Order: sequence, then C-alpha cells, then structure tokens
Amino acid sequence: MSLSPVSSEPHSILRFSHLSVRYGRTLALDDITLDIPCGSSTAILGPNGAGKSTLLRAILGWQPSATGEIRLGDAHPQHLLPRLAYLPQRHMIDWDFPITVRAVVEQGRYPSLRLFRQLGPDDRTRVDRALQELGLTDLAGRQIRMLSGGQQQRVFLARALAQGADIFLLDEPFAGLDLFATEELTHILRAWEAQGRTVLAVVHELELARRGFTRGVLLDTALVAAGPIAEVLSPANIDRAYRRGRCAHDNPLHLASTTEFPR
Amino acid sequence: MHDFLITPFSFGFMQRGLLSAVLLSLSGGLLGCILVMRRLALMGDALSHSLLPGIGLAWLLFGPSTLALFFGALVAGLLTALGSAFLSRLTRVKEDAAFGSLFIIFFGAGVALVSKLPTGLSLSHVLFGNILVVGPSDLAVSAVVSSTTVMVFVVFYRSILLETFDPIFYRAVGGHSGLVHFGFLALTVLNLVAALQTMGVVLALGLFLLPAVSAYLWCDHFARMLVLSVVFGVVSSVAGILLSYHAGLASGAAIVLCLGVVFFASALFSPTYGLVGRCVRGLRERQAVRKHPG
Repeated sequence: MSLSPVSSEPHSILRFSHLSVRYGRTLALDDITLDIPCGSSTAILGPNGAGKSTLLRAILGWQPSATGEIRLGDAHPQHLLPRLAYLPQRHMIDWDFPITVRAVVEQGRYPSLRLFRQLGPDDRTRVDRALQELGLTDLAGRQIRMLSGGQQQRVFLARALAQGADIFLLDEPFAGLDLFATEELTHILRAWEAQGRTVLAVVHELELARRGFTRGVLLDTALVAAGPIAEVLSPANIDRAYRRGRCAHDNPLHLASTTEFPR
Repeated sequence: MHDFLITPFSFGFMQRGLLSAVLLSLSGGLLGCILVMRRLALMGDALSHSLLPGIGLAWLLFGPSTLALFFGALVAGLLTALGSAFLSRLTRVKEDAAFGSLFIIFFGAGVALVSKLPTGLSLSHVLFGNILVVGPSDLAVSAVVSSTTVMVFVVFYRSILLETFDPIFYRAVGGHSGLVHFGFLALTVLNLVAALQTMGVVLALGLFLLPAVSAYLWCDHFARMLVLSVVFGVVSSVAGILLSYHAGLASGAAIVLCLGVVFFASALFSPTYGLVGRCVRGLRERQAVRKHPG
C-alpha cells in the first residue's frame, strides 16, 4: 500500500466558472472564473457597484446566473444550503425585536427541524457550544438591544455556528463596528480559518483586508485579481479596480474646473 | 354584580356577539404581533378601510349573504394590495403613497355606495360595528377563520418567527419567504372581514393592533408576546361587549376603548419599557451621580 503524498494545494470548496449575473440590462458580474480554497478566509473587495454583494447572493442562488455556474464541492449550492451561513448587514435587523440572545442562536437549528418537532438535546448542546465559543453564555438571557455592537455581531456568528455551517458568507461584517469590536471580529475570523472554516466577507477597507484575511478577490464587475491578499492588493490592481486605469490626477467630476489659480 | 356581568349574556345576540369578538381576538392578537413587528400597522389600517366598497357591492348584488359579503371584501382588499404594488412598480409613485391613494379612493367609493343603497345596510353599522347583526352564520365564519389562523401560527411558528425577525436569513436557509408573506396577508384580510360585523371597517384593526402593541411593551420573548397579546384581546373584548351593552355604545368603539385603556396603562406602567419606569430609572441615576460624583 502506498501513501499518496499530501498535496500542498488545498482543494477548492467553491468554484465559479464563467459566471455572469444581470440585473435587467445592467451586467453586475461579468464572466467570473474563480476558485475559493477550502478553509481559507477571503476578503471580497472592489468599488461600489462592483458586484461584491451580488457574488454572495449568487452563491445562495438568489441571483439566477445569466451564464456559467457555481459549484460547491461537486454539487450546486442550493442542495447544500445547511453548509452555508449568511450573515445579514447589521442595519437589516430590528434590534428592538422581543427576542433574547439564546433565542436568536436557536434559530440556527430551525432549518434542520421538521414540522411539529421541538428542539432536542442535541440541538441544545449545539446552541450551548456556539454560545460558549463566542463568549455569549452569560449574555444568553439578554434582549438583543442590550448588547454592544461587537456582541451583537457575535450573536449572529453564533447562530451561523449553531446551524452547523462550514462556509460563512458575511456581507459587510465590519460596517458600524468600533475599533475594539473590529479587532475582536478579525480575531474570531482568523481563528475560524485556523479551524478549517471557510470565510467569505465583503470588506470595504483595504487595510483591514490586508490584516484580517489571507486571500482576496478584487472585483470591478469583471474579476480584477484573486489570490493571496498581498498580491491582490498590489498598487497596479487597486488602480485598475478603483480608478479603472485613470490617472489619479484626472478629474472625472470636474470638481475644480472653474477655479483660477493665481500666477 | 350578577346583573352587571351575567344577565346581559342571557340574550342570544349578546352570546353570539361575545363569542365572535372573543374568537377574533384570539387570531387578531396573533396577527397583530406580526403587523407591529413588521411595521405594517398603518398598511393594515388602510387595508381594512378599503374593504368597504367590496361589502357594499356584494350587498347590492347578492343581499345580506355572509359568504357574498366575505368574498366582496376579500376582492376589494386584494385589489388594493395588488393595485398599489403594480402602481408603485410601473410609475414613479412609491408603495406607501400608492397604497394611501388607492385605499382612500376605495373608501370614498364605499361610503358613496353604502349610503346610496336601497337596502337597510346602515353606514354607521358597517363603519363602527353592531353586534346585534351577528347571526349564526357570521359566528361560523368567525370560528373557521379564527381556528385556521391559530392553527397556522401553531404549526408554522418557527417559519413565521424567522420571516418576521430576519427574512434574509430565512431565505438563505431555504425558506419560502414569499409564501409566508402572502399567507400572512391573506390571513389578515380574512380576519378583517370576519371582524367587520362586531368591529366595523374603521375599528376592526384596533382588535389586532392594540393588544399587540400593548404586549410589545411588556415582553422580551416573541412567544410570550403572542400569548399576552391574545390575553389582552380576549379580556378587552369581554369588557368592551359589557360596556357596549350597559352604555349603549357601538360594540367596536367600546372594545377599542377598553383596548385603549390597556395600551395606555402598558405605555405608562410597564416596568422596563414604560414611561414611569424610565423616569424613575433616570432620577435614580442622577441621584447616584450626585452622591458619588466622578
């Protein structure tokens, strides 16, 4: 019996091949071919309207693809929804909703419950473990408004864990977090990557992406670059994605065109 | 005491009125919680107003048949909901403005129709409710609608909670968001129509909304909010029917008044979210700061 050498190349968990998505006549994603390695943390970057959120929505099957397809392992993502956890943007949640931290995390178990079934001991253990991993055990009985921004974000991470997902799709998770909460979330996502979980997050700040993620995907409707974060965020790539090759001294908005400078 | 509480219900029409109001506060309390949490309160109110022309037309065409009134109202409600959805998609008018315009047109048309009808349909009865007209067939409709609603809530509680709290997550885990939303709208129209006899078009939504907002001021658990809302609704219905009997008020108005008392009491005295509690906490904090400055 021969042992096959362990490949140093991790296999891809998500494969996009020639994916295009349209909103009516506008092209939101243009011919994206891309592999996301298993157990990596990837920042999705790009200017406004580059199709970052659309990429996440396409994975969940909310955006029918005009051409191309997405594969999760060997299947279509729609067949493996329990493996995918989607974190909504914070402003989508009504924080005054009469619900406690624990009840939110329990929602992660709902999809796997049949009609008429109550949460079983196994479900409870998973909820307990998720609460514990994110340090929420003591806050479990609190109403969700009574938490800090970072804690609120952790509640939804815990729900994703309780769901039993291993691929996490985060839509702007850092929006509205203060410095401490940002550090904390970066730390959690780093730890998840070390545990072999796959994280895809839409990120706006380039510096944050450099520090918190190992890989990057730079979009500008079409794919500009993908790979290790340092290579993706090279000056040339950033220039291509954000300025579309224009020189920084160009003045697309003609902001100061009427100003006369003294000679 | 006996005369005050029990004697009124020796009359058949009082029994039917009471039973119908209690049945509808069971389902109305549940639906109201969703209306409140999804911020659809005003839309529900507009929807109930828009049912009027449907009722008027059904009366004109088929006479006082419960089933006809029911379907007339249903069609009017659906026309308003779908019509405003179309208007907002096809023109630059936004959804709320479209809904507001359509419902007021429908309501106007309804008032015109009902006041010009040759039959004995009294406008004030349709608008504000009259338990005298609750017949056995109306009671049957209330019973069916109410038990259907309660059953849907028991069976699909988790889907309803997810769709109300976080519809995006619900979709992401494979839930049928559109189906739940449509089912909810359909149930709302059904309950509004069933509540017409006792509550009237203008006041029907009070039976849904007021117990739910009151319960919202007390609870930090969604399930408890649902139960408390139903309790508030049932208690106020009984009290309201008695009030309407003794004071000779329209039953809808009497029930809404009782619910109003519950609501104001909640807004003032709920320990965590009430006004008084808030003031007391504020004062205490100020005193604590004064005692231990810095």
